[in-house]
Amino acid sequence: MSGQLSADVVVIGSGIIGALAARRLAQQGASVLILEAGPRLERARVVAAFRNSPIKGNWMAPYPPSPWAPHPIYVPQDNGYLKQSGPYPYPAEYIRAVGGTTWHWAAQAWRLVPNDVRIKSLYGVGVDWPLSYEELDPWYQEAEELLGVAGADNTGSPRQHPFPMEPVAEPWSMRRFRERLAPAYPVVANTVARNSRGYDSRPACVGNNSCQPICPVNAQYLGINAVEAAEAAGAKVVPNAVVYRIEHDTKGRIAAVRYYAPDKSEHRVTGTTFILAANGIESPKLLLLSASDTYPNGLANSSGMVGRHLMDHPSTSLTFYADEELWLGRGPQSPSSINTLRDGAFRSQHAPYRLDFTNISQVLNVTNDLIKEGVYGAEFEKQLRWRAARQVNVKNVLEVLPNPDNRITLSAEKDAMGIPKPEAHYAIDDYTRRAAEASKTDFARIAELMGGTGLRYSADGQFANNQHITGTMSMGNDPKTSVVDGFGRTHDHENLFVCSTGVMPTAATMNSTLTGVALALRTAEHILPAKNTHAGAMHSGHEASLA
Amino acid sequence: MNASARCLLLLGLIVTASVHAADSTDAALLQRGQYLATAGDCVACHTAPGGKPYAGGLTVPTPIGNIIATNITPSTTAGIGHYTEKQFSDALRKGIRADGQRLYPAMPYTSYAQVTDDDVHALYAYFMHGVVPVDNRPAPTRLPFPFNIRLSMAGWNLLFLDSKPFTPDPAKGVAWNRGAYLVRGLAHCSTCHTPRNLLMAEQSSRELAGGAVGTWLAPNITSDANSGVGGWSEQQLVDYLRLGHATGKAQTAGPMAEAVEHSLQHLEPADLQAIATYLKTVPAHHDPADTRAVDSWGAAFDGIADQRGTALPDDAEQWSGAQLYDAHCASCHQVSGEGSFDGGLPPLFHNTATGRTDTGNLVMVILEGIRWTDATGVHMPGFAHALSDHQVANLGNYLTLRYGNPAARITATQVANLRSGGAPSHLVALARLAMVVVVVVLILAIIVLWRRRRRRRTSSGQA
Repeated sequence: MSGQLSADVVVIGSGIIGALAARRLAQQGASVLILEAGPRLERARVVAAFRNSPIKGNWMAPYPPSPWAPHPIYVPQDNGYLKQSGPYPYPAEYIRAVGGTTWHWAAQAWRLVPNDVRIKSLYGVGVDWPLSYEELDPWYQEAEELLGVAGADNTGSPRQHPFPMEPVAEPWSMRRFRERLAPAYPVVANTVARNSRGYDSRPACVGNNSCQPICPVNAQYLGINAVEAAEAAGAKVVPNAVVYRIEHDTKGRIAAVRYYAPDKSEHRVTGTTFILAANGIESPKLLLLSASDTYPNGLANSSGMVGRHLMDHPSTSLTFYADEELWLGRGPQSPSSINTLRDGAFRSQHAPYRLDFTNISQVLNVTNDLIKEGVYGAEFEKQLRWRAARQVNVKNVLEVLPNPDNRITLSAEKDAMGIPKPEAHYAIDDYTRRAAEASKTDFARIAELMGGTGLRYSADGQFANNQHITGTMSMGNDPKTSVVDGFGRTHDHENLFVCSTGVMPTAATMNSTLTGVALALRTAEHILPAKNTHAGAMHSGHEASLA
Repeated sequence: MNASARCLLLLGLIVTASVHAADSTDAALLQRGQYLATAGDCVACHTAPGGKPYAGGLTVPTPIGNIIATNITPSTTAGIGHYTEKQFSDALRKGIRADGQRLYPAMPYTSYAQVTDDDVHALYAYFMHGVVPVDNRPAPTRLPFPFNIRLSMAGWNLLFLDSKPFTPDPAKGVAWNRGAYLVRGLAHCSTCHTPRNLLMAEQSSRELAGGAVGTWLAPNITSDANSGVGGWSEQQLVDYLRLGHATGKAQTAGPMAEAVEHSLQHLEPADLQAIATYLKTVPAHHDPADTRAVDSWGAAFDGIADQRGTALPDDAEQWSGAQLYDAHCASCHQVSGEGSFDGGLPPLFHNTATGRTDTGNLVMVILEGIRWTDATGVHMPGFAHALSDHQVANLGNYLTLRYGNPAARITATQVANLRSGGAPSHLVALARLAMVVVVVVLILAIIVLWRRRRRRRTSSGQA
């Protein structure tokens, strides 16, 4: 054992959520230490690695896992880190590095719709949240101002104050979708943490269309921006610190955490308050790993719910050729969607969904298709131009209900540090499958309105995963059925909090990051109340600091 | 209605009409004053970042120390609310405050001396009635000895202040005269763009031949075809002043971006046209190093294609210029340096940024980027935090070699120097040395005189 560190608040995980909770606490004067299992990355190296790589379609290529803190990789083949025990695979992707997985996100920064937190009461499915949309609203606002969110008002999520920024410029392809699908389907700008103009010392999006794997110009808010903001507020980050155990004292309070350095030297960090913010898979893994004689099922797990209720957003899709040149690939990768199916009485029967249009350049996909088809020479170029200009794709983003059988457990297999790997048990139920079936009608109608030909539906029963790891440490008022309370405090340990999308009791239909950040800011306020901030004051304060 | 009532009504109408006339005159006067204050860019120095307009507080670094801009709102306690028009005029055009103390020439009164009485009147009206008073007094300026003695500026003014307002040249057209009036007067272009002598006074014989403002170079904007703007069309000059960039020529950065943002872009088209007309006639000053126009160097070049598939060195200090370019620049300026199709992201060739032999501004823009304070925000991110001195030099040399003047070089020492705020000024030491010299000379003179007189007295005694 070497090296003793200590802080008022110890945060495990340096992703966007943990870092913004850390920033807020550091701003209130707490000493804050952030432990990150992975290494520190430089944006320039990631950008150079992507630009220099011959495999542009593999968004994980610029983020190779480190031997001491591996993360799942599936291309060119599964590295076997996230074990699968079925019946349906849960091939989550995430990044263990300073800044976390938002190094390569599409910056979708959605709010819930108000009814998302009351689906048990309203529709008789899932569970209700222990808080209302109205309680979340000011925290959403604070999160949106930190991240620099650009959005349109007509997405079904009410708000008290305006978005920090007007929507990002609409690409031509999305404009054509909007014009041709009206009035059957209103196509609206996505709510994104992407600058439509200069904001917070970062430039506007210039449309490199490489949001995933990396925004090369810092127009999109990343976890690393949050880490830098936390450091500016006084927080300290320890990279390459692989936490493998959380220790409690005789009263059930958390006393310390232990981590390995890459050379497997052991270190112990003490603190007053602990925040677990290591995503919805690594966090429950760590709680389960920390089982003791007093807590034989793992920490925070008297309910037995740690790791359970694993959720995400499965997608099915339709690819087709529009009857006009749309040239996907100009502007951000995911600029627009249809939001009218996120809520409705049908939720008692099947899952709600968003319909999302890709704007990713089709040149690579079409090239691969043509090579597979054996097309070459002049015909190849002709076909490439024709298809790349017209090929489009629409997918659904389906809600999954919380189910205790969908869960993360400890695998019998261990990683290079001797730490058990996580194992996913997952299934997609009929509630979700019925929605996939229902959305086929929408797909067909959209293709019809776009003059679509060459319609290719994703194979029946095949769902793509969207890497929105949700559940596994759900919040609730009842300690028998939930892991944390409405403020993110574990029911079992007074000084252990969870800041993660893993605390969301249901997954709804939108990318989970913004909700995770909003909940984490609320948790930070609960741990150490701010002297002079609420969302309204914050709003005007930010404007002043920009002037 | 009887006659007297009719009279009263008529009188009332006349009074109302004249009141309206006075109102609109005042409004017009205030509006003109506001326009002139914008042309003078008073706000640039007299407003702190995030502070109230004209309330002062901005620290202006100068070679003789930091000068803190004063509150020029009409506050009677903290600003200039108690100034008479005469006192206002003396401050603006002679560098003399209401209390008789001298201003430092960081306030460009040597330029404002050109402003006409009429325009001073409009400016006075605006600052007294159009600006919101702010009762907050910024910290006073404290310069090192001998510059803390403000009276020293009186001597400087004797040498260097031409206090005669602008007189039009009847041989030149209306536009030229208007342009000359603005350039030499309110727009105070020479404050930055005219080189200064050892005593920090503008060298009038080298008008607009290029000066320094902090760590930035204010380039030669004389009519020289290579070193200056002789090769620019008037329309390109107008574009530059209005938009902050002229396609295929240059874009503003540093203090010039501020001048465009706060002042020049708001000027009437006719005034910008007049400025362009005048600039095209400013006597050429040629730098022999500029063997062709500074905006004519370079061409599109892809220096990266042949490096694809080559692994990047683990140590980023070892990255080549092309690799640094790929990682930091190519996402906006494109792989061949051609920028975006509409010029919104500028090409790096045919660009003064890479065409000058003085590479200071290229280093500065890599370090600091280009940032406007309005809603457009960051026009280019800075890389001071991401690149070492060696990397900036390496990258900059790639840019000048491939897209600019291949004779232009950047060294890591130069980058370190600019990063830390530029070479320290020796002006304070020089001034002190000069004073010591003067005192020594005086003492010697007194001794010599005294001895001569004594000798004379002795000899007369002997006589």
